Amino acid sequence: MLLNAVILILQETLEAALLISVLCAICCMQKQKFTALGVGLMAGFVCAFIYAFNLQTVSEWFDYVGQEVVNALLQSVITILIAVFFWDMLRRQNSSEQAVAGGRPLSMPGFMLAAAAIIMLAVTREGSEIVLYVGGLIQQTEHLQAVWMGTSLGLGIGISIGVLLYYGLLGLPRRWGRWVSIFLLALIAGNMWSQAVMLLTQADWIPSTQPLWDSSAWLPEQDLMGQLLYALVGYESTPSPWQVLAYLAGFVLVAAVVILAWPSQDPGGAGSGVGSGARA
Amino acid sequence: MTRLVLFLLALLSFGVAHAAPPVIEIEIKDHLFYPDVVVIPADTKVKLLIRNLDPTPEEFESYELNREKVITGNSQTVIFIGPLPAGEYPFFGEFYPKTAQGKVVIE
Repeated sequence: MLLNAVILILQETLEAALLISVLCAICCMQKQKFTALGVGLMAGFVCAFIYAFNLQTVSEWFDYVGQEVVNALLQSVITILIAVFFWDMLRRQNSSEQAVAGGRPLSMPGFMLAAAAIIMLAVTREGSEIVLYVGGLIQQTEHLQAVWMGTSLGLGIGISIGVLLYYGLLGLPRRWGRWVSIFLLALIAGNMWSQAVMLLTQADWIPSTQPLWDSSAWLPEQDLMGQLLYALVGYESTPSPWQVLAYLAGFVLVAAVVILAWPSQDPGGAGSGVGSGARA
Repeated sequence: MTRLVLFLLALLSFGVAHAAPPVIEIEIKDHLFYPDVVVIPADTKVKLLIRNLDPTPEEFESYELNREKVITGNSQTVIFIGPLPAGEYPFFGEFYPKTAQGKVVIE
């Protein structure tokens, strides 16, 4: 029971922890305070409880596929918010150069609100499963100690991996840290749309098709590496063509936004942008 | 007359194309699946109606079927699977994986 609790909590924590880490790293590079992100996290915890307690009602919507539809919506909105995050951040980079030149102070950036909303939605989705799992187990008093220990260990390991990623990204040379962070968020954006498609296929809103490939023989999803890759980049051993297409679309959307919104006055593309603060 | 036959055939094919998929019921009780082996014909879409009779929630999960869904305690839910080629597709309850094990056999 203990080991199972550790694995399950870790799986649920990891995906949100990695997303939060990359966002925190980018915000740190932008010399932003983490206040908004903390508020997003707290709001996520509250929403996770609300969602968990109402999951039965939600599940009954749309002829018992409400859970898939709502989760797909949450995932899809995260992808769009990642695009909004980069758009606002990079456009602001343009205007901040003008603002600095004009001596105007900058207000609370909209991209920080987008980051907070991303964290809130991700924690709502993953946290609600933890709430349901732990809530179910604590009804059985014989498992109580194992549950709390497993939950603490799972959360601890998940958060530790997130912290490692955060410092790893900040520890990279400035230019690399910036590009790796953008790349990871673009992959996460693709993964969110891919998962949304999987959920809508499960709900029979999208027709089911044969997998595009089957890599389960050499990299099973249930293995440690498969789990880690699933959490980080949304690895699937048997994805449908629609999932792959959605993944590519999410990735391309974020990549296109980054390219289009990239500061035009950026000298050689290295002096500003996402990594401007990392010089400090 | 030919037009009428064609119209009726078109209507029939529409009905067949949109016919509800067969429903297969699975129950969860004491963290076990009943039945734990579900046999389904190949290349057929099926609606799994899963009833969780336990007071605790369970998560139906299958890497092979590419499905995952939380089923709250004392409730029921629906998961669509297939059409799939012949083979065995294990599934398990992620919250109680030691006991909640089963498989879909496509023949």
